[in-house]
Amino acid sequence: MKRLLATLLLLIPALASAASLQALSAAEVPALLQPPAHGERVIALWSLDCAYCESNLEALAALQRAHPKSIELITVTTDDITRRPAIEARLRSMKMTTYPARAYAEAGPERINFLLDPSWGGETPRVLVIRADGSRIGVSGALTPAQLQKIR
Amino acid sequence: MRRLLIILLCLMSPLLWAHDMDHMAKAPELGASAAFDSQGRLWVVDAANGHVRLRHSDDDGRTLSTPTQVNVTPERIYAEGENRPKLAFGPHDEIYVSWSQPRAKPWTGFVRFARSLDGGAHFSAPITVHHDRAEITHRFDALAVDGKGRIVIAWIDKRDLLAAEAAKKPYLGAAVYYSWSDDGGVTFVPERKLVDQSCECCRIALATTPQGDVAAFFRSIYGDNIRDHAYAVLTTPGQAATATRATFSDWHIAGCPHHGPGLAIGADGTRHAVWYEAKSQPTIWYGQLDPGHAPHHRLAIATTGASHADVAVHGHDVWVVWNQVSAAGYSLVLRQSTDNGAHFGPIRDIAHSPVAVGSPQLLQKNGQVFVAWNTADGFRLIATESTP
Repeated sequence: MKRLLATLLLLIPALASAASLQALSAAEVPALLQPPAHGERVIALWSLDCAYCESNLEALAALQRAHPKSIELITVTTDDITRRPAIEARLRSMKMTTYPARAYAEAGPERINFLLDPSWGGETPRVLVIRADGSRIGVSGALTPAQLQKIR
Repeated sequence: MRRLLIILLCLMSPLLWAHDMDHMAKAPELGASAAFDSQGRLWVVDAANGHVRLRHSDDDGRTLSTPTQVNVTPERIYAEGENRPKLAFGPHDEIYVSWSQPRAKPWTGFVRFARSLDGGAHFSAPITVHHDRAEITHRFDALAVDGKGRIVIAWIDKRDLLAAEAAKKPYLGAAVYYSWSDDGGVTFVPERKLVDQSCECCRIALATTPQGDVAAFFRSIYGDNIRDHAYAVLTTPGQAATATRATFSDWHIAGCPHHGPGLAIGADGTRHAVWYEAKSQPTIWYGQLDPGHAPHHRLAIATTGASHADVAVHGHDVWVVWNQVSAAGYSLVLRQSTDNGAHFGPIRDIAHSPVAVGSPQLLQKNGQVFVAWNTADGFRLIATESTP
């Protein structure tokens, strides 16, 4: 019994981190786009097929760690949440499990892409920055140091 | 102790259930291909539960047959976004199917092929098309049959990227490789490289020239991540194929557009093309390729919310279709030219879907033109004269 309990307790962290991946439906997009009370919400859009996304997420995580009180970082993959095992494995390998993570709750990405940002055609990586004053910027492709500076 | 255990088990059950869900059967992904055979029978391939599955229809898509399995032994199959199983016919309606198989590591894949010589009743055991067996990217396969009945397959391949990285040399993107079969798909010749440093995540468009050769149109990389397109005739035995820049949009992106082009070549040799770029705003372009020079009759076909266009030609009629998204869902949208692409008529909605859709594909049968549209509610074949 004790061994079973110990095994279950050991399993919890792995399962808990897996459980932090939440679906993002079309109906939930307006809430995600609400301006934060202060600072910036940085929505880091990525996809499983995108080899450029990992370094972009690392750069955004470093920026967030440098400004932990100002920047709220959320990762959103455009992949369907039914690919949860692959998404969670990638989040773990990219060491991004400490940030809130969402995955599209649709079999194709175009509608949620459009709702998040109509001026975005779905290319990844994409970063969407929403400031407390309601202003937004969107940048496609791997962020240059100059582009990273503009976020904060 | 027992109570604690019960509480723990109760707390964990939804988490365990979520994990179990990953291994249960789920709805097929939206990557599908369709084609008419010489008898006018419609065929559709997609993937479900580890099988590429084949269905047919004798009533233009209103009803589909029960599926047959192309690969009897289940394997992983890419079937979403720019990756989808492909379908083509030989000169005697042999059925050829190709797909990309994910390997264990991210971004890896093998290009797979199987054929049926008995109208889809049985398929050969799948073979891996490329002779290279490294666990790297060989995926985004494209399939066509040339005028001599050769089966031509092109794909995106990262062997040269990895070699450059090992030698600490700069290399952007991936290479395009291709191979062909002279024996109806029993074997494929050792692959040839078409070009280095092309885009690593966009479908390759193939079309047949009036001479019967297979031509490729694909997103390449120029200079520092300028993701314009190249055109090449995939020469089979004989001289080496060369890829020539054919679009000049100058869209710079160090990223994945997830958005490959479309190509249709008229009997007069006109290369009708559609492609996507987002230098200033998301835009789908139509143009007639003149490799080495800017395309002729270039036209911004659609902008915001438009994606994944396809093009077809028959005589002087040219059709362009694409997905147009809005908050309410998806429209399948068409523009038609009756003067070989010099001018296009107004935008016309021909179907709606409240649920997610795959990339549309234009098909022709005896001069009639249809659009294959795979939706999360099922496969649809839509006549171009339709209204929603």
